[in-house]
Amino acid sequence: MSIIYVLIPIAMLFVLIAVAIFFWAVKSEQFDDLDRQSVSILFDEKEPKSPINKSDLPNKTE
Amino acid sequence: MTSCFHCNEPVVTGDQFTTIINGQAQPMCCPGCQAVSQAIIDAGLTSYYQFRSEPGQRQSALVPEQLSHYSAYDLPEVQQDFVHKQGDIDTTSLSIDGITCAACAWLIEHKLKPVNGVTNVLVNSTTQRAMVSWDNHIIKLSEILQLISQIGYQAAPYQVDEQEKQSKADSRKFLLRLGLAGFATMQVMMFALALYTGYFTDLDVEFRDYFRWVSLIFAAPVVLYSAQPFYFSALRSLLSGKLNMDVSVSIAIGGAFIASCVATIQGTGEVYFESVSMFTFFLLLGRYFEQTARQKASVSSSNLHKLIPLTAHLFNDGETTEIAAKRLRIGDIILVKPGEVIAADAIIVSGKSSINEAMLTGEQMPIIKQVNDTVYAGTINVEQPLQLNVIALGQDQLVAEIIRLQEFASNNKPAIALIADRLARYFSATILSIALLTYIVWSFISPDDAFWVTLSVLVATCPCALALATPTAVTCATAIFTRLGIITRKAGVFEKLTQINHVVFDKTGTLTCGHLSIGDVIVDTHHTKQQVLALAAAIEQGSLHPIAQAFTPYYNNQYLVTDVDHHIGEGISAKIDGQLIKIGKRDFVTTTPLAAAPQNSQVIYLSINNELVAQIELLDQLRDDSKRTVDALAQNNIALSIASGDNSGHVEYLAQKLGIADVHSGLSPQGKLSLINQLQQTKQVAMFGDGINDAPVLAGANLSVAMGSGSAIAKNSADLILLGDHLSRFNDAITVAKQAQHIIHQNLLWAFAYNVIILPLAVTGHVAPYIAAIGMSVSSLIVVSNSLRLLRIKL
Repeated sequence: MSIIYVLIPIAMLFVLIAVAIFFWAVKSEQFDDLDRQSVSILFDEKEPKSPINKSDLPNKTE
Repeated sequence: MTSCFHCNEPVVTGDQFTTIINGQAQPMCCPGCQAVSQAIIDAGLTSYYQFRSEPGQRQSALVPEQLSHYSAYDLPEVQQDFVHKQGDIDTTSLSIDGITCAACAWLIEHKLKPVNGVTNVLVNSTTQRAMVSWDNHIIKLSEILQLISQIGYQAAPYQVDEQEKQSKADSRKFLLRLGLAGFATMQVMMFALALYTGYFTDLDVEFRDYFRWVSLIFAAPVVLYSAQPFYFSALRSLLSGKLNMDVSVSIAIGGAFIASCVATIQGTGEVYFESVSMFTFFLLLGRYFEQTARQKASVSSSNLHKLIPLTAHLFNDGETTEIAAKRLRIGDIILVKPGEVIAADAIIVSGKSSINEAMLTGEQMPIIKQVNDTVYAGTINVEQPLQLNVIALGQDQLVAEIIRLQEFASNNKPAIALIADRLARYFSATILSIALLTYIVWSFISPDDAFWVTLSVLVATCPCALALATPTAVTCATAIFTRLGIITRKAGVFEKLTQINHVVFDKTGTLTCGHLSIGDVIVDTHHTKQQVLALAAAIEQGSLHPIAQAFTPYYNNQYLVTDVDHHIGEGISAKIDGQLIKIGKRDFVTTTPLAAAPQNSQVIYLSINNELVAQIELLDQLRDDSKRTVDALAQNNIALSIASGDNSGHVEYLAQKLGIADVHSGLSPQGKLSLINQLQQTKQVAMFGDGINDAPVLAGANLSVAMGSGSAIAKNSADLILLGDHLSRFNDAITVAKQAQHIIHQNLLWAFAYNVIILPLAVTGHVAPYIAAIGMSVSSLIVVSNSLRLLRIKL
């Protein structure tokens, strides 16, 4: 039974880490837009293939 | 019928508009949607269509005027209100209309990111806002706004609600407190379970004390950090000489924690760490719900409060320069072009034009003004350029007068005592006196147990369920309101909604659409209705008069119009194919006598070569659901009135059509307010409005409802805002509010029942810590699940 004197402090350490991560997540605004983050993984970061050439893109403002 | 690929509206124009998406021609409902979808495809952002979960917003045709007015956002004195500058990099937060799902956020970010000069874009789809940073040497803010509008969203800086500034920081702090309490409670419960076994089997004193110490360590941050808001609130209420729920909450938390610490150190008595933690967690959960609902409301109302820079063209030695309105001085001469908003109260120096004062007076038709007439800030010049001499600024303007009236009215608004607050006061007082009584009685019976029994009374009767009863129901009801397109701006609306027994409507823009549309058209034998309307539309094209707007849907570019001449207050003449076409008042277009015009509506006439061809009736049409709404309200025994600033017979006519008997027309803002005040003597009054002239009366009514398309000032003083301007949603709102009220009552009843059962047990000293913990969580769960039933409501 005396093993709990070791295991419980280790468990407490884990909780401390979890709380620290939670605080970091809240402070870095990860809880501000819950609608978005849940699906953001679906969007490809790379430019998707499109039938239009990149040079035709009109979104460069000179 | 096919539906538009972009916005999902039915396509009524055949296959006139299509966009090729992934090699397939997709139908579009209008040139707006077509342009937007083409821009999205051209930017290589086709994935938007793949991943979106909601259809896009329907695009109204892009008006050139709208694009040019973005340039006002580049003026330095306009920018200083909302742009944060750091070196060359400017940063601002924009509110974006038309974000329907996460794909929209992705789309906007990817449209802007590759643009040269934009250094950072972050779109939040929950708040419908974007944080944009850009290099002010390479790109201008107006260009960014235009880029966003190309893909179908309207972006603008917004006025941050005073309430929102505060609630944003509060919300995050609440989440931290709640999260910490959650983590710690889980741990404490785990050790508590081990401690509970000590009641049934033998637990070594050594391990018992060890578990108690571990529980203490976990419970400490909950009590010292998470529960802080309760202590402050309790202190505030005690200082003002009142009792609230937080007083008994704080005594219970503080008392139980200190007693448990003492018990842990001395190795005697009972520990209540798990109750204290859970208690704090549940109470915080209730507060957090309240807080998020409040924040959502303030974010939405900030978003509605767009910052539209008021600029003026200062006239100086034959040259005009565009300056921000706040830099105007009395005596300045300014030039106001047709379609522009007048920046300050002023006197006309030269020119003659009609001015649209609808927002100030509710009067729908523009009023003709000429030299030496006074025009007011916020009104719109319709026809001809005007030169004005500024006579009043800031607080001296007519608009400021109305705002003062609004402030006065809102200060005198009848207060409503929320049922939960009232109950809390009695509840706390009762609990505290019972606890005191228990202590006194027990100190005669058995002085050693007196303290512990009193403590168990305080812990067991914790108002967890009571504290969750209202917030959970209100959160669910608010969620339904959001789904219905109703923004709740203030607390207590649910309670007020159920009490309303008199509803007063404004006319223009509330019961009616607020703009003219074509009614009956009578044509002579040689022409068809379509021909006439197309002719009229061709001539009216380019005019900013409200009448001209009515013809816009009939415009096609088959006619070449020349020699357009606007005759103020008369009509327009122009030449098409060498023929003189006139549209306007009867005496203006022809001299031929004609049958009497239909009453209660406006009629304009069209002639070709002075030969009368058609008479066109113009109506400010009732909203589709006005009749339905009014009927439903009447069925619920709610009395109805109309209070309009409009002086014409149109008000009576509409009232008859809707079956509203009590009609007041031609009222000033002050008049409307005193009408409401009079009604309030005996009744609970709800007011509907949209214009600046409605702002004071909205602020003064027991419950006020503004239309989403209404003026910022009106929305600012409203309790509820109807997005999409669906009047009938108000009936749904009443249904939801009644249901919510019902659920709140059930919750409160249950919370009391629980306390009534547990109290005698606690007073007699039969509540062990584990019973208190179980009772608390079960009663809280019952309350929460009962509130969730609200979400299943069918409308």
